[in-house]
Amino acid sequence: MSQLLQVEIISNANPAPNVYVLELDAPTLAQEARPGQFLHLHCASGQDPLLRRPISIHGVNRQTGRVLVMFQLAGRGTALLAERRDGLLEVMGPLGHGFTLVRAGQTGPTAGSGKGKIIVLGGGIGAAPLFFLLQELAAANGHEAPPVRVLLGARSAAQLLTVEPAATLGYQVQIATDDGSAGLHGPVTWLLAEELKQPAEFVYACGPASMLKAVCQLLAEAGVPGEVALEERMACGIGACLSCVCATRQAGGEEHYRRVCVDGPVFNAAEVVWR
Amino acid sequence: MSTVVNTTVNLGGILMRNPVTTASGTFGFGFEYQPYLDLRRLGAITVKGTTPLPRRGNPPPRIAETPAGMLNAIGLQNSGVDRVKEEILPRLAALGVPVIVNIAGDTVADYALVARKLDGAPGVAGLEINISCPNVKKGGLQFGSDPQGAAEVTRAVKSVTGLPVMVKLSPNVTDLVAMAEAVAAAGADALSMINTLLGMAIDVERRRPLLGNVTGGLSGPAVRPVAVRAVWQVYKAVRLPILGMGGIGNARDALEFILAGATAVAVGTANFVNPRVTVEIIAGIEDYMRQNGFQDINELIGLAHRSGE
Ligand SMILES: Cc1cc2nc3c(=O)[nH]c(=O)nc-3n(C[C@H](O)[C@H](O)[C@H](O)COP(=O)(O)OP(=O)(O)OC[C@H]3O[C@@H](n4cnc5c(N)ncnc54)[C@H](O)[C@@H]3O)c2cc1C
Ligand SMILES: Cc1cc2nc3c(=O)[nH]c(=O)nc-3n(C[C@H](O)[C@H](O)[C@H](O)COP(=O)(O)O)c2cc1C
Ligand code: FES
Repeated sequence: MSQLLQVEIISNANPAPNVYVLELDAPTLAQEARPGQFLHLHCASGQDPLLRRPISIHGVNRQTGRVLVMFQLAGRGTALLAERRDGLLEVMGPLGHGFTLVRAGQTGPTAGSGKGKIIVLGGGIGAAPLFFLLQELAAANGHEAPPVRVLLGARSAAQLLTVEPAATLGYQVQIATDDGSAGLHGPVTWLLAEELKQPAEFVYACGPASMLKAVCQLLAEAGVPGEVALEERMACGIGACLSCVCATRQAGGEEHYRRVCVDGPVFNAAEVVWR
Repeated sequence: MSTVVNTTVNLGGILMRNPVTTASGTFGFGFEYQPYLDLRRLGAITVKGTTPLPRRGNPPPRIAETPAGMLNAIGLQNSGVDRVKEEILPRLAALGVPVIVNIAGDTVADYALVARKLDGAPGVAGLEINISCPNVKKGGLQFGSDPQGAAEVTRAVKSVTGLPVMVKLSPNVTDLVAMAEAVAAAGADALSMINTLLGMAIDVERRRPLLGNVTGGLSGPAVRPVAVRAVWQVYKAVRLPILGMGGIGNARDALEFILAGATAVAVGTANFVNPRVTVEIIAGIEDYMRQNGFQDINELIGLAHRSGE
């Protein structure tokens, strides 16, 4: 269950220009959090900025009770967070509905169909929550059953921050950059299109809206199920204010607005309605 | 020093064990906040605006942050009175906290329909008529900016319910006192104020409005002085209990409203910042009373008027 917690900042790393990784001492969060969930962080000490900021959980260490969040400088809230080196940070979490873990060799809705690989695709800072997903997929399935393909894209090589951690977990990573400074010169969705030429079981994606829209289209064409993690402006973060909605449509149903904070941030790729 | 203080107030027939409720639309149906606080400690729970039929609400983005405040244009998304009555109110009733249902509609008949359906619904202690939503095309502010329209809605609702009826006023009018007088004459049992202030913000990089709905309602600390003024003026003019709200973030803010004439207060945007803020405010008001030698909260209501002029 989500809690309001004061957690200690252990460290704040700055692995690339404008990107920070906060390490938090938060044993209950580390225990309970699931990939795709987020924390609602209090950035300011006064009333400006007033609202909390949602940031995904980047990774956990259940043994040490540590939780990582990775964020990009976007404005005043993240600028204040970037300055924090130590002391207590007020967080609400873990929040939201995370990724469905596809498990090999199990029955039920989350069973792997055995039809092929799992694809994990991230664009830009959107790759942040995918490291946690890869941690959990490795723990659930090992690396080869089913095989996992990790596809990561960014503007340039310097922003490909999840490649190394993913490799450390034992995954093979394919790369795409907008400027061609590493891997394929082009959007990461080209790598996905290529992968989808062979059977795939499930696709997880997180990144900018334009990328996710393309991902949903590719999945629909290939008939492959998947999940995408969305972002929307949030106030409460807990489903009370209806600020954070996105349009969705369940098969055969009507389009309606659902809350990214509690009904998501992870949604069935086939249900998201893009404009 | 744990002197017992009386914090019970009577908001036009809604009996509250302390003067703190939640502002409609900011607290969902209460359960969302259950992980963070004991809902039974609240003086009342005011729930999201409810209309005759389900409403989709406005397209996103629905909020934008502004200095010490926020704009929202939710557009009254809700699942309709029938579902609220059947699925949510029975669960809320089990808490034993008075529930205030905020009602809205496009026409006078809509308001009356919702009110009639809620009459006798489990746990409901009162109705708050929202004639002040700036984010819907029809209804809402259309009634909230015209004394005659406001009086008509009030009469229609009063005639179909035995519940206490509170009318929520908009600050987006030239003469708030005239509005208050009109609904008082039409039989309102209490007044609540203020709803959000109509505003907008523009994304300068993209050169377009930040909100999907273009305009929205401003709430949060930024609006507090406007809200305190509203309560002060209406308290002087109209003999009805007032539910004060607008930018309340701590006990001192709440006391400001009570001293201006509010019988009770509602906390809105601050719940987003600190989900426990309501219970902290309740404790803070009690501390203030003890420290300043007040045994009964009712002594504080409108007290600033005695030295204010
Ligand atoms: C569920 C979820 C998970 C997220 N995870 C991450 C993450 O792991 N790493 C990361 O760097 N960023 C993440 N974001 C985006 C992050 O919340 C925004 O970058 C951040 O709120 C910007 O705040 P700011 O004050 O720095 O920027 P400002 O531009 O000053 O923000 C102004 C307002 O816009 C909102 N806002 C701005 N950009 C976004 C956005 N992309 N999504 C939602 N609201 C936004 C802010 O919350 C604030 O209300 C996530 C967003 C959501 C919804
Ligand atoms: C996200 C949001 C949704 C709201 N929804 C409603 C509503 O459905 N009905 C209503 O009467 N007021 C609604 N309001 C207005 C609040 O109840 C309150 O009057 C206003 O926000 C001022 O109080 P605050 O500054 O403490 O938030 C809403 C406000 C916000 C911020
Ligand atoms: S942020 Fe309030 S409902 Fe999602």
